[in-house]
Amino acid sequence: MNLDREQALAEAQRIAASGGASEIEVSVCQASEAFVRFGDTGPTQNADRDRVDVSIRVRLKEDDGYREASASCTSLARSETERTLKRALALASVSAPNGELAPMGGAVEVPKTALSKTTSQHDFKAKAAWVDRAVRACGERGLAPAGLISTHGSIRTIVNSNGRQVQGATSRAGFALTASSTGGEGWGGAISAEVDRIDPDLVIERATSKASANRTPIAIEPGAYTVVLEPAAVSSLLLFGSYYGFGAREVSEQSSFLCGRQGEKLFPKELLLVDDAQNAFYPRLPFDGEGNRKSRVELLANGALGEAVTDLNYAKKMGVRCSGHSLSQPNTHGPMASNLVLATGDKSREELLAGVERGLLVTQFHYTNMIEPRDLTLTGMTRNGTFLIENGEVTSSVKNLRFTESLVNTLKNVSGIGREPEVTGALFDGEIVTPWLRVEDFRFTSSSDF
Amino acid sequence: MEMKLAKAAVDAALAAGADYADARVNHTVHEELCVQNGSVAAAEAPEDSGVGIRVMKAGCWGFAAANAGSESEVNELAKRALRVADDLSPARTEPIRLAPLESGAASWETPFEIDPFEVSLEDKLALLNEAEASMRGAEETVVKSAEMSMRREEQWMASSDGAELYQKLMRCGAGISTTAAKNGTAQRRSYPASFGGNPRSAGFEHIESLDLSAHGERMRDESVLLCEAEPCPAGERDLILMGNQLMLQIHESVGHPNELDRVFGHEVDLAGSSFATTEKLGSFQYGSELVNLVADSTIPGGLDTRGFDDDGVASQRWHVVEKGIFKGYHTSREWADRIDESASRGTNRAEGWYNPPIIRITNLSLMPGEWELDDLIADTEDGVLLDTVKMWSIDQRRLNFQFTSEIGWEIKNGKRGKILRDPTYQGTTPEFWRSCDAICNESHWNLWGVANCGKGNPMQVAEMSHGASPARFRKMTFVK
Repeated sequence: MNLDREQALAEAQRIAASGGASEIEVSVCQASEAFVRFGDTGPTQNADRDRVDVSIRVRLKEDDGYREASASCTSLARSETERTLKRALALASVSAPNGELAPMGGAVEVPKTALSKTTSQHDFKAKAAWVDRAVRACGERGLAPAGLISTHGSIRTIVNSNGRQVQGATSRAGFALTASSTGGEGWGGAISAEVDRIDPDLVIERATSKASANRTPIAIEPGAYTVVLEPAAVSSLLLFGSYYGFGAREVSEQSSFLCGRQGEKLFPKELLLVDDAQNAFYPRLPFDGEGNRKSRVELLANGALGEAVTDLNYAKKMGVRCSGHSLSQPNTHGPMASNLVLATGDKSREELLAGVERGLLVTQFHYTNMIEPRDLTLTGMTRNGTFLIENGEVTSSVKNLRFTESLVNTLKNVSGIGREPEVTGALFDGEIVTPWLRVEDFRFTSSSDF
Repeated sequence: MEMKLAKAAVDAALAAGADYADARVNHTVHEELCVQNGSVAAAEAPEDSGVGIRVMKAGCWGFAAANAGSESEVNELAKRALRVADDLSPARTEPIRLAPLESGAASWETPFEIDPFEVSLEDKLALLNEAEASMRGAEETVVKSAEMSMRREEQWMASSDGAELYQKLMRCGAGISTTAAKNGTAQRRSYPASFGGNPRSAGFEHIESLDLSAHGERMRDESVLLCEAEPCPAGERDLILMGNQLMLQIHESVGHPNELDRVFGHEVDLAGSSFATTEKLGSFQYGSELVNLVADSTIPGGLDTRGFDDDGVASQRWHVVEKGIFKGYHTSREWADRIDESASRGTNRAEGWYNPPIIRITNLSLMPGEWELDDLIADTEDGVLLDTVKMWSIDQRRLNFQFTSEIGWEIKNGKRGKILRDPTYQGTTPEFWRSCDAICNESHWNLWGVANCGKGNPMQVAEMSHGASPARFRKMTFVK
């Protein structure tokens, strides 16, 4: 797909200037994606696909606030966007005025971004070659493969009638492989903005060596263990801070784990967690869903939880600065810290293991979910390779365990931070940059028989 | 015009060398309204249109999708799909085989009484304002939210097997929820179910029938009481699940492990696999003799009630579990052959035009038993009654689970007692279903909609319903 920046910008400018409302915001997302899933028989599902999403948000100013609504369509054709604008106006005209809404933002400068050429050019023949290598490597070790290779590029344009006009590009490439035997699984994965920074052989080696070591897991009793968490395990815990904790709405509604803890020195001083869309390791869009420039926000630093992230509405409501963390408006979720980066420490993998007398090395957690928001108590299962650590050495694989533990306790009990960052996601939405972590007294509450 | 476009896409794919082709043209109109704390928090009207073309060449799929609207665009899209199949087919180790299908022209539409898009916006917002107002009156409630969602999806599908299928699906749902904050905790109550209420395949008459404002006061009071309540204690006791909690148990521990692509490991990279492997079919004791679980894409009101799936296979009804024994899978044309079935169950579905279809759970229900709820409570010596989904987690083979409800009530010596906060139970799937010793009768049975089921990688969202009446499970483990 030709992701035409100029066409998107011109149509967004035209609509924003068309009048008929006190404020108009136009957001255009043009995306192109290519992916291949594969299994024991080679490539399975796949797609070569493009889409355009045009969202128009309008506001009608009254004495007691704005009437606001949005409508969207999947075309930049003028007939479609004009019909969409009319639908948004019709919805807004019957909405009750909301006195809590802040005016849309004005002109702003954001850093320039570009699509990755190598990621855009990674074609299906190249993907087929990776599939072939993964299937062969698994076959040679008596393992069944399942995985995903994907490349994605998108252009986001936001223009509003208050003079705001931002445009940015992001790319993403990912390769994930799960190798399975009848005894257990092993996982390897890599994500980058640049596809040529992914080493497919390293991903394959990680997955197959893990699966090979996980053919005959032993059962151990649930309980509190020192755990060494690989990045994919860390992400499925920390992302719950994004979903439910670090946003101003949760603080405003008193459901955030920040409530009553901000500023208190509860955590190891070495922990530095920031939201930083412009981090060099995995740069994302430098502006948010309202077109605000995204600020770098220290969420946990010097042993204490910091400020919550905001959008324009919550900045007004709480009398604080807008940090630039809006989702597309309008929404009921509130602002979200969606570019978490946990700073690296100084420990190698071996050094993290060396401090463990009897503990567990965890590759990933599955289906992590939240039980209680004020401590961010979470539960989930280990998956794809869980290993017993004895006297600093990995000695055997173990059957999967369910954890029930709070994120607050987990962060308090960090006793070591790895020195290599990785980009990694989780079952639900979102990706973070994080190193390995060692955590003391991590509580497992039940076990599985596999 | 849309069917012509779909047929043109199929013809273009065949002309370019495809062995099989199908094309889906989709147009979806959606409206979402939410009133929160006295203001309109969301008034959105998304529309989504596009074309997805799937081809088979040398036993390998190729899929391409775009917002195409002309014959020249779909011709180009068909060629893109074919190029994908050509590029990937050398990496296939064996060809994909589709179960045979006789197809032709047909259409199907969701029956409804009131078109939700003909109801005025003023009337919809008035209903939500009244519902939100019904939750006012307690200073501890920090969020009071009333929302409704209406969706009309039209699809024109053509295939090289002769399918020319049109269907129009109408879905509507609404719900209220309130969150109270007090004593260092925040507690939510929702009606009729959490996460947006209870959607159905129906018209606006379904939203009216929910009578949201009649339940606001109770939700408000219970959310405040939960902040003052003791946490549900750990230990072993009997569990009574109301339908709007039991539906999630059906979904997670019967529906997902029953998807045949999972069973063969093709979803293990993200969603996981399944303990319900094929050698268990026909003999495995999934549950007690009382447990009958029926998949049904034809049941009135089900969110996945329709005429055909995205393979063009007609909707069906079959037992997944019969008298406790594991009896059948969800399949597609691609996967039926793996268990030596000659035809698909018709459960291959895509999220709109943008995605290739994958096996999805259809409407899957626990058949009613004979008990009255009052009698069931009176018959329970030491138990907890749980209502409304709050949180869930289940392992990658769908065995070990841990679920939390919004609210629990202690049951002692046959009487419902005090409210318990964050009631959380844990178990394994076969033990859970085998421990079922009582199911309430049809008068307590209801269809509960799941509008946000995620599967696939990249993830796709699908909808389905689960029918259930309250049921009892003996000696379940509660955790704190």
